[in-house]
Amino acid sequence: MKKELFANPDLCTGCNRCTIACSAKKEGVFQPSKARLRVTNFPLRGYSVPNICFQCPKANCLEACPTTAMFRDGSGVVRVNRDLCSGCGSCVSACPYGMVEQDAKGIPYKCDLCEGDPVCVKECHAEALVHATGDAALFQLKAAQMKTRPQSGTPLEKRHKIAETLKRSSRG
Amino acid sequence: MNLYMGKMLVVDLSAKTVTTEPLRADWAREYWGAWGLALRYYTDAVSPEVDPLAPENVVVLMTAPLCGTLVPLASRMCLVSKSPHTGTIFESNVGGSFGPELKYAGYDGIIIKGRAEAPVFLKIDDDLVTIECAEHMTGQGIFETEKLMEAAMGAHGAKTLAIGPAAENMISYSMIGSESYRQFGRGGTGALFGSKNLKGVVCRGTGGVAVADMAKFLERTDHYTRNDLLCDDNLWAKTDGTPILVEVTNEMGIHPTRNYTKGFNGRKETLNSDAIQAAKLGNRACASCPMACGKFTRVNSAEIEGPEYETLCLGGSNCEIHDLEAVIRFNRLCDDLGLDTMTCGSTISLAMEMTENGVHNFNLRFGQVDEYLKVVYEIATLSTERGRDLAKGAKHLADKYGATDLSMEVKGLEMPAYEPRGNFGMGIAYATSERGACHLRAFPIFATDPHDIDALVTEVVNAQNANSIKWSLGFCDFWGTINTSIEADLMSTGLGEPVSAEELDQAGERIWNLSRLFNLATGFTAADDTLPKKIMERPLEAGPHEGRVFSRADLSRALQSYYELRDWSARGIPSSRKLATLGLDKTTL
Repeated sequence: MKKELFANPDLCTGCNRCTIACSAKKEGVFQPSKARLRVTNFPLRGYSVPNICFQCPKANCLEACPTTAMFRDGSGVVRVNRDLCSGCGSCVSACPYGMVEQDAKGIPYKCDLCEGDPVCVKECHAEALVHATGDAALFQLKAAQMKTRPQSGTPLEKRHKIAETLKRSSRG
Repeated sequence: MNLYMGKMLVVDLSAKTVTTEPLRADWAREYWGAWGLALRYYTDAVSPEVDPLAPENVVVLMTAPLCGTLVPLASRMCLVSKSPHTGTIFESNVGGSFGPELKYAGYDGIIIKGRAEAPVFLKIDDDLVTIECAEHMTGQGIFETEKLMEAAMGAHGAKTLAIGPAAENMISYSMIGSESYRQFGRGGTGALFGSKNLKGVVCRGTGGVAVADMAKFLERTDHYTRNDLLCDDNLWAKTDGTPILVEVTNEMGIHPTRNYTKGFNGRKETLNSDAIQAAKLGNRACASCPMACGKFTRVNSAEIEGPEYETLCLGGSNCEIHDLEAVIRFNRLCDDLGLDTMTCGSTISLAMEMTENGVHNFNLRFGQVDEYLKVVYEIATLSTERGRDLAKGAKHLADKYGATDLSMEVKGLEMPAYEPRGNFGMGIAYATSERGACHLRAFPIFATDPHDIDALVTEVVNAQNANSIKWSLGFCDFWGTINTSIEADLMSTGLGEPVSAEELDQAGERIWNLSRLFNLATGFTAADDTLPKKIMERPLEAGPHEGRVFSRADLSRALQSYYELRDWSARGIPSSRKLATLGLDKTTL
């Protein structure tokens, strides 16, 4: 079975080591605003949600792409071929989880699981992020996170909406 | 530029202007960041006799070079100004994520001058920085103010600094809150904002922090994280956080109980780490920290990140409050209204002792929860006579009613939760700290012999120097095993130019001496390097150090040895030789 990325908000401490490390690897600077995963913090309620790309089996970003720039590779990861991208941004608005964003040139970037060895997981000392083949509990977590699918708003607004839903179910 | 953003934000609230200026690279090389660099900027900007709450006073907020990177426990930022509570130079620092966000927005720090005509907040949206009206936030607590400022940014997740009503009322121990439960806690930082009509700062930064060689920097960071930080000496922060100190200090007999009457609390189990773990919902961390020492707890409907050790003791044991829910409620009120829990707890315990001794009836008694919670609101809002009395802190309260023998402070700053009669090192640390009684300058509680004055003096001096540079590089206290060799290696790799441990050692000593010069220039003398009367005269009750005092003779011997070791005169004045060595001989202070 292939490994997948799972997130457990109940274990997330909000430290952002994942996003800091992700940006260092992908952008060469410490710049969490460009990270391929994000953390939504609710400090007052002591709750944080790692927003991750689920590499959806039926991926809206991929389906919305008018060219073949967005594609799924052999390991199931949805990736971007920059050379084929027209910069239309359809994938950004199509992703209900707010996990595809565009760079300054309009080319989208998203999580590619670091060639099977995600750097975010290595930096998560709280074990809120795991890269594993998964068990029933992990798949249940994932299903709960995928259930809220905002169709409108910016990626930030979508991530926040999902995180709000998860916070309510955990903290009341 | 590597590690630094190379830019300072200068906000003049009187002139309603926001400008930027290049970071002083020459100062950065001598003072490095956070505490030291803010101190350098501050001493350049004001004259020592400035009234802390006057528009002429300046507040310097400064991040540190490693802040915003993957280096763990390095994201604290400092505020330096003159304290309205103590009248000394004052450094206070906060964790969380505001510091990194400010750097991502492109600034190493903020210099705040003047006074706004009406309440305002500062909005930093990358390079768009504006002074905004805050009249609709007036009187709001910190939690609501942060929410309103985040909404004004129009984006979720903006980072905030905010004050509550206590600071608007310029209470001398009001604080600045950040992300709900983190604070520039001590010394009246909140009143500084309040005096400037500054309700808060909201920041969003989308830029990044660069390093010379990312692969090498990540390799060194990983090396020290795994081989030094995440080792037995430091892991208490991950497992327990500061509440573990409840058991530790009780066992040592240095756990303040009943306004520093006893060194042991017989009911410690209600507030120890096990009690916190039983109430815990999850762990919370500052930016880039793998330890997550913050324990988010809930008892009945009361929830909070905390309480931390100082609050568990000064708001708990020292007031003989043995109920975790009550301490959580006390803590949350302070965090929202904007009061330092340490000074607030200590002032309440003093009022309790004064009431029980018949000095004055504040209707506050040890162990009585209702009034203890009620008075916090009265202090913050100045709404009752006892609230107005307690709002001035322990020193003024004791002075007013002739109970100076009961006030537990040094240079006006209420003592932390470590009993000096049971550990003379803590007494030496309190007496010689530049900001009054403080445990964050030296923390010799684990000394082999807690009453060996000569050894403790040496330990205190070394720790003061080491912490001066550690706080200037933005490191957290809880990386207890870090040293200037590790710091120098990380700085060298990040900057791409050699930094030596020796120059960092010297910077620590430079910062300590510059602080001393400022205090001397404001009128403090060696006579202020002292301890509360109760510590020097009244024998400690209960615990292994029962019967001990830290006598005037002991203190005098300790200070003599301390001044000699620092190359200061018998009157506590740095020698010209020492100042020349540190490059401070040309200072105008």
